[in-house]
Amino acid sequence: MSGDSLPLALPLARFHSDDREATTLFRELRKPLLRYLVCLGLSSDEAQDAVQDAFLSLHRHLSAGGSEENIRSWLFRVARNQARNRQKSYDRRFGACLDDAGAESALDEATPERVLLEKEKFERLQNAVLTLACAERDCLLLRASGLRYREIGEVLGIATSTVADIVERAVKKLAEKCNV
Amino acid sequence: MCEYSRRLIAWLDRELPDQEAPNVEWHVGQCADCRKAVSEYEEVSRAFLACYEASGVVKTNSMVPLWTLSGVTAAAAMVAVILLAQPPVEKLSFHPLSPAPAPMMTVRARAHVHHRANPVSAHRQWVADEPVVEVALPADALFPPGAVPPGFNYIADVHFQQ
Repeated sequence: MSGDSLPLALPLARFHSDDREATTLFRELRKPLLRYLVCLGLSSDEAQDAVQDAFLSLHRHLSAGGSEENIRSWLFRVARNQARNRQKSYDRRFGACLDDAGAESALDEATPERVLLEKEKFERLQNAVLTLACAERDCLLLRASGLRYREIGEVLGIATSTVADIVERAVKKLAEKCNV
Repeated sequence: MCEYSRRLIAWLDRELPDQEAPNVEWHVGQCADCRKAVSEYEEVSRAFLACYEASGVVKTNSMVPLWTLSGVTAAAAMVAVILLAQPPVEKLSFHPLSPAPAPMMTVRARAHVHHRANPVSAHRQWVADEPVVEVALPADALFPPGAVPPGFNYIADVHFQQ
């Protein structure tokens, strides 16, 4: 994973008055936000509602003269709060959405032996993820969303150096438990 | 344990300061243990990312930015809810194209008449050039305070079928 930020050079000054700017921003961040929310345990419909609500909040935020800096981490933070509010069983995160879809889609044309091996590896990863602490899973999810450590820190309300420590610990745990 | 081992993942993520990254890169080229560790971290990160991206397969085609929505469906649903839930005489006030200042939220009704008796004209519709009835609903009556950003307009096309 490169850790590079998603390209987000969007003029936000006219967000609340120009539908095209708003739609561009929406298209840019909709899928990453949806993915993140689904991994937090929301259903597809709940995630779509939460994304809409997050963008409505952004609309209000900018209309009220709020800061246009760090919009991406701002949206992820709002979306995360939406997820916490909506999802009563918030802690059943990520494991539930780690179904076999990932393994199946990547192995459509693989040999049966390779499919079996990959499925075993996938299951090990799934079990390993479930053993991670909440903060570790949070950091890895946001890292997989393409957020930089600084942005992850803004979403979770922790220091960048703490994010680096947590990511390092989480990746090492996964590598050890998956025995890759 | 190698002194660089705690910086390998940040280096992979390109999160190290510019002056530090070349040192780690050089070291990884020299140290077999760190190369092996980097390879493992890359693989597990890729696997995690693949699972993560697969888990994000959600229905997105139907998503429309709410602020760009014309409000037809939403307003029609709101009108229906209001009409069913509360006596319309008390809540709705009719303003036949009055020149009064525009309310915060406006619902316009247009009549679309289907003539079922005549097969030739079964698909023809009569559409008024101008709104026949304008129903003004204050946003406060529909949503809690602050729920609707200023400037939102909802327009409902109401169809009457015989």
